[in-house]
Amino acid sequence: MRRYLRRNTSLMVGLVLLGLLALFMIVGALTVDTSNAQALSVPALQPPSWDYPFGTDRQGRDLLAVMVAGTPLTLRIGFIAGFFGVGIGAVLAFTAAYYRGWVDTVIRGVADIGLTVPGLLVLIIIAVSIKSLLTVNEMALIVASLAWLNPTRTIRSQVLTLRERGFVEIARLNGLSGPEIIFQELMPNLLPYLAATLVASVSSAILASVGLEVLGLGPVEAPTLGMTLYWVNFNAAIINGWWWWWLAPLVVILVVFLGLFFLTVGLDEIANPRLRRAA
Amino acid sequence: MTKDGLPVDRRTVLTGGLATAASVMLPATVIPAPALADLPQIPREKTMVLIGINARDGRWVDYELWNPYAIGSNHQNGINLIYEPLAYYSAFANKMYMWLAEGYEYAPDFKKLTIKTRPGITWSDGTPFSAEDVAYTFNTLRDLGPKAKWGIDVNQALQEAVATDPNTVVMTFKIPSPRFFFFTTYKFDIGVPIVPKHIFQGQDWPSFKHFDAAKGWPVTTGPWKVAEASLQQKVFDRRDRWWAAERKLAPMPEILRSIWLPFVAEQQSAQAMITNQVDMGGVIQPATFPTVIRQNAKITTYTGQQPPYGYVDWWPISLYLNNEDKPYDDRDVRWAISHYIDRKQIVDVGYLGAASVSSLPMPPYPPLQPYFDVVKDLLAKHDTLAFDPKKGDALLEAKGFKKSGDAWMKPDGSPLTLEIIGFGGSGPAIGPVLSQMLKRRGVAASIGLPPNFDDRFQKGQYTGAIYGHGGSIREPYDTLRLYQGKSIAVPGAHLVNFSRWRNTDFDKIVDEVYITDPTNVPKLKDLFRAAMEIWLPDLPDVQLVQNYHRIPLNTMRWTNWPGTDNAYINTASWHLTFPLVLWNLKPA
Amino acid sequence: MSLLYIARRFGVLLVIIWLAATLNFFLPRLSGDDPVRNKLLEQASLGGYAQAGIEDMVKVYQKQFGLDRPLYEQYLTYIENVAHGDLNYSIANYPRTVVAMIGEALPWTIGLLGLTTVISFALGTFLGALLAWPGAPRWLQWVMPPLWALHAIPFFLLGLVLMWLLAFQAQILPIFGGYSPGAKPGWTPGFILDVLRHAVLPSLSIILVSVGGWALAMRGMMVTTMGEDYVTFAEAKGLRSLSIFTRYCMRNAILPQTTALALALGQILSGAVLVEVIFGYPGLGALLFQAIQENDFFLIQGIVFTVIVGLGFATFLLDILYPWLDPRISYRRG
Repeated sequence: MRRYLRRNTSLMVGLVLLGLLALFMIVGALTVDTSNAQALSVPALQPPSWDYPFGTDRQGRDLLAVMVAGTPLTLRIGFIAGFFGVGIGAVLAFTAAYYRGWVDTVIRGVADIGLTVPGLLVLIIIAVSIKSLLTVNEMALIVASLAWLNPTRTIRSQVLTLRERGFVEIARLNGLSGPEIIFQELMPNLLPYLAATLVASVSSAILASVGLEVLGLGPVEAPTLGMTLYWVNFNAAIINGWWWWWLAPLVVILVVFLGLFFLTVGLDEIANPRLRRAA
Repeated sequence: MTKDGLPVDRRTVLTGGLATAASVMLPATVIPAPALADLPQIPREKTMVLIGINARDGRWVDYELWNPYAIGSNHQNGINLIYEPLAYYSAFANKMYMWLAEGYEYAPDFKKLTIKTRPGITWSDGTPFSAEDVAYTFNTLRDLGPKAKWGIDVNQALQEAVATDPNTVVMTFKIPSPRFFFFTTYKFDIGVPIVPKHIFQGQDWPSFKHFDAAKGWPVTTGPWKVAEASLQQKVFDRRDRWWAAERKLAPMPEILRSIWLPFVAEQQSAQAMITNQVDMGGVIQPATFPTVIRQNAKITTYTGQQPPYGYVDWWPISLYLNNEDKPYDDRDVRWAISHYIDRKQIVDVGYLGAASVSSLPMPPYPPLQPYFDVVKDLLAKHDTLAFDPKKGDALLEAKGFKKSGDAWMKPDGSPLTLEIIGFGGSGPAIGPVLSQMLKRRGVAASIGLPPNFDDRFQKGQYTGAIYGHGGSIREPYDTLRLYQGKSIAVPGAHLVNFSRWRNTDFDKIVDEVYITDPTNVPKLKDLFRAAMEIWLPDLPDVQLVQNYHRIPLNTMRWTNWPGTDNAYINTASWHLTFPLVLWNLKPA
Repeated sequence: MSLLYIARRFGVLLVIIWLAATLNFFLPRLSGDDPVRNKLLEQASLGGYAQAGIEDMVKVYQKQFGLDRPLYEQYLTYIENVAHGDLNYSIANYPRTVVAMIGEALPWTIGLLGLTTVISFALGTFLGALLAWPGAPRWLQWVMPPLWALHAIPFFLLGLVLMWLLAFQAQILPIFGGYSPGAKPGWTPGFILDVLRHAVLPSLSIILVSVGGWALAMRGMMVTTMGEDYVTFAEAKGLRSLSIFTRYCMRNAILPQTTALALALGQILSGAVLVEVIFGYPGLGALLFQAIQENDFFLIQGIVFTVIVGLGFATFLLDILYPWLDPRISYRRG
C-alpha cells in the first residue's frame, strides 16, 4: 500500500492535503474555543500574534476560531449539495441514456427546464418564504436543489457514447437486464468521469454557496468561509491592508479545492492503470 | 464525402456547430446603441466627477427617466439637480432660500396659502415660467393622487390651486395645512419639483419619460442640462444662462460639467478618490478613511480629516421591537433590552468610534435643539441611553422571567428570543454586535439580512429590526407623526407607525401639533414635552446611534465643500439641496 | 438522421421553451412578495419619506400592471404577449421596457462573457488534452498546478486580488465600469480601446479561473478515451502517437466538452452576476440580480425567457449535430 502511494503522487498529495485539513479541524475543535468565532469575543483588528495566530477581524472575531468553526460548515454545504447532485444526476442520467425514448425526453426536458431557472431566484424565493433567519443546513439544501441538473446533463451525454460500445452490445446479447448493464457495465467504465463530476459538483456547490454568501444572502451569524469573505468585502479589508483577514479563508479554500483535485487525479490513475505509464 | 454519406465532414460541423451555437446568442449585439449627441470637450479641471448612491449594482438603470413623477424615477439620482423648487431649506444653517417663489402667506386659519412667484424666469426652452406652472403641478398631483409620488399628500390637503395672475398662486385647503409650503420646499429627500405645464400637459405623468435630446428635454429652470445619460454615467453640462445668477441669488456655477457615476463598491470608491479620478466619492465606512487620507492628502470630509468623517443624517437608527409581539408588547421588557445595550461598544466596534449615540428619534439639528432641552429632565429620568444590565435583570425578574443557567426564560418557561432583521449599511455594521451583546445578557438574539426587509418591516412581520427613518428636521411634528396610531386632524391619513405602538392620548397631542403654526416654538415645546411624557416611559423603540453620511471629498480641483466650519448645507449628492453645493464649489 | 427527427426535436424545443417560460412565470410569484410594494417601500426607506398611503399606490399600480387579476388570466396575457415578442414594462423601472433594458445589457454580457467563455474553453480543452498525452512537454507540469490553484479560487476573490494588484497597486488598469467617465460611446478606435481596457480585469479573472476547470474535465475525458480498445488498436497498428492523440483521443474526448460548452454559454448570465457586480460591468447578469432582488416579475421573466430561447436553440443544434460529431450515436432507431 505504502509503495503504491509513493508511486501515485497525486493521490498522496490529495490525501495529505485533505488529511491536514481534517487534522486542523479536529485539533482545532479540541483546542480552540469556537465561541470566539462570534463578534465581540476578542480585541478587534489584531494582526497575527501568539495569542491570535490568524489575527482578528473588525467586529472582534478570532479568525482561528472562525476557520475552525467555519471550515466544517462550508464543507458540509459542499458535500451535501455535491453528493445530492451527483447521486441524483447519475441515476437520472443512466436511466435516461440507457432507456432513451420518452424516459430520456422527460428527464432531459426536466433538466433543461431546471437549468433555465436562475439559482439566485430560487434561493431568494426560499429565503423570503421561510420567514425566519436562514441556517447553514437550509443553505445546503438550497444549493443542492439545483446541483443535480448539470451532472444529469453531462453524465447522460457520456453514457450515450458508452452504450453504443461493443461490450454493452455483448452484455445485452448475454441477456443482462437494464439495471444490470447500467451497474455492472456502464458504471465502472464511467467511474473516473463520475469522480471528476463529483469533485466538480462539490467544488461548484462550495463556490455557489460562497458566492451567495458574498452577495449578502447567507446565514449572517454562521462563521462560514463565504460569510468571512462577505465581511472582508463589506469592510473593504483588501484596500485597508488587513491582509490576515482574507489570507486565512483564502488558504483554507485553496487547500480544500487542491486536496479534492489531487484526489481525483489519483483516483483516475487507479481506475485507468494506463495513465501510470505517463506519470 | 464521409463514411456516413453526409455531405460535410465532421471537422466542418464541429467548428461550424460552435459558431452556430454562439451566433444564437449574438443577434442582440447588433441592436444599435442609442444615438447620442456629440459631447463638447470640457477640460477635466472644469469637470466635477462624483459617485452617486442609489445605482443598483453599479449601473444607472433609470437613465432614461427624467420625469420626477415617473414611478421608476428617483430624485436621488440626478433629478434633484435639474428641477428647481419654490424654496430650498438648509437645516444646518436653519435658513430658507426663497427660489421660484418670492414669498408666501397663510390665512390665519391655515386653509389658504398665497404664493408669489418670481417674474422673469424662463424654462430652458425659452418659455416663460409663471404661476400657471405651479398651479398646474399641484392640481395635477391632487388629481393623480396615489398614481404619483407626493400625490396622496397633496390630495389630502389641497382643494384647488389657482393662478390669479402670472405671479400669484392661491391655494385653498380641505384641512388646515400650516406645513404645506414647507412640505414643497426642497430639504433632504422631501420637496415638490415644479414641472413645465407646456410640456407635461396632455402627457400621462406616470409613464412620461421627459427625455429626448433632439427636443431639448428635460426642460427645467435650473442651470444643468442632461448632456448624456447611459447605464454608465449621467453627464450634466452647465447652461450658458441661468436666471438665478442673473438675479444674483446664486453665483453662476464654476463647474462646467458634472459627471455622475454609479456606486460599485467601497473598494472602488476609495481607490477612485486616492487616484483623483473622482472629486466626490460614494459613502464609505469610517475604517476606510485613514487608508484613503494616508494615500491622498487632498481628501477631506465634512469634519475634515478627523473622525467621524461626516455629518449626522436626518434619521437616527433604532432597534425597533414589534409592540404587538409578546413579550415585547410589555414596556418593561423593551426597557430591559435597552438596558442591556452598551451603545458605546456599538459606536466603538460598529463604527470604530466614529459615530455618536442618539437619545431621541430625531437628529440634534440647531432648530430642534429647543425640543431636546425641554425634555432634559424627562430623559434624565428615563435614560434611553443607559447601559445598566442589573436594572434590566430586575425588570425582567419583576415580570416573572427566570434565568436558567445563562439564558432568560419567559414566564411560560420558554427561552426569551429576539430575532432581529437588518438591511443596507447599518444591518451588517451593528447587527452582529447587537445580537452578541444581547446573547451575553441571556437573550437568545439572532440577526439576519433578509432580501425583503422593507416588506417584512412594513407589514409588521418582524420581532426586532435595525432601522432608521426620516422625521423631523425643524420642528417635532414629523417625528411625532411616525408614532401616531390614529389621526383625526388629517382625515383618511395613512400612518406608518413602524413599531406598532398605540396610545390615544399621544395621538391627540400629535393632532394638536398638526394644527399648530410650525413657527410657534413655545407652544410646540409644551406639546412636545407632553407627548414625550407618554412616549419616554413606554419606549416604543430602543434608541441606538446617529446615522452618519461619511462622504470623501477631494480638494484637488474643487474647494469650499460644506464642513463643520462652513456648515451651509449637508453634502449628500442625493439630497434635494445638492445644487447649493455645486454652485458654492470653487476651483482650487 | 431524418427530417422527421429534426422536426420532432424542434417540437420538443418549443415545448421546453413553453414549460420553462411557465415555470419562470410562476416561480417569482410563489414568494408572495409584491414588486410594486417592494419598489415603493424601498424608495420610501431610502428617501426617508413617511410613506403615507403606500397601500393605495400599491393598489393603483397592481391594477395598472394587471397584477390584481386572477393568476391564470395574468398567465394567458403573458403567454400571448411573449408570442408577440412583447416582454412588457419593468415594474420597478416603469415606464422603461424590458426589451430596452435587456437590449442595452446583452451586448456587454455577450462581449465579455461569451468571448471569455469560448477562450477559456479552447485554451483549457487544449491544455487538458495535452496533459493526458504521454508526450506532453515538461513545462506543462509547471503550468498546470497554478492554473488548478486558480480554479480553486472563487471568481470574485481572484477579481478582487487582481483589482488590488493591477488597478490599486500598479494602477495600470481602470477599476470599474464598461468605459471611462466622460467617454462618448461610438465605433471610434479610442472608445473601442477604452472598452477593451475596461474588459481586461474581468476577463482575466474569468479566464484564469475557468481554464483550469476545462482542463480538468478534458483531462478526465482523455483518460477514459485513452483506455479504449480502438486506441490500443491504433497503437498496435503502429500509428504515430501524435496522430493517435489528435485523431483518436482528442476528437472523441471533446464531445462531452462541447455539451458542457453549450451549457456554459447558456448559463453565462446567471454565472456572471458576481463578476459583473464587482466590476460594475453593465451586463445582463447584474440586471438579473437586480430584478430578482426587486422581485420585478416582468423583468425576471423577460431575461429568463431570452436565456431560455438562447439555451434552447444551442442545445437543439447540439443534439442535431451529435451524429456528425460522434458517428457512434445514431438517431435512426429513434
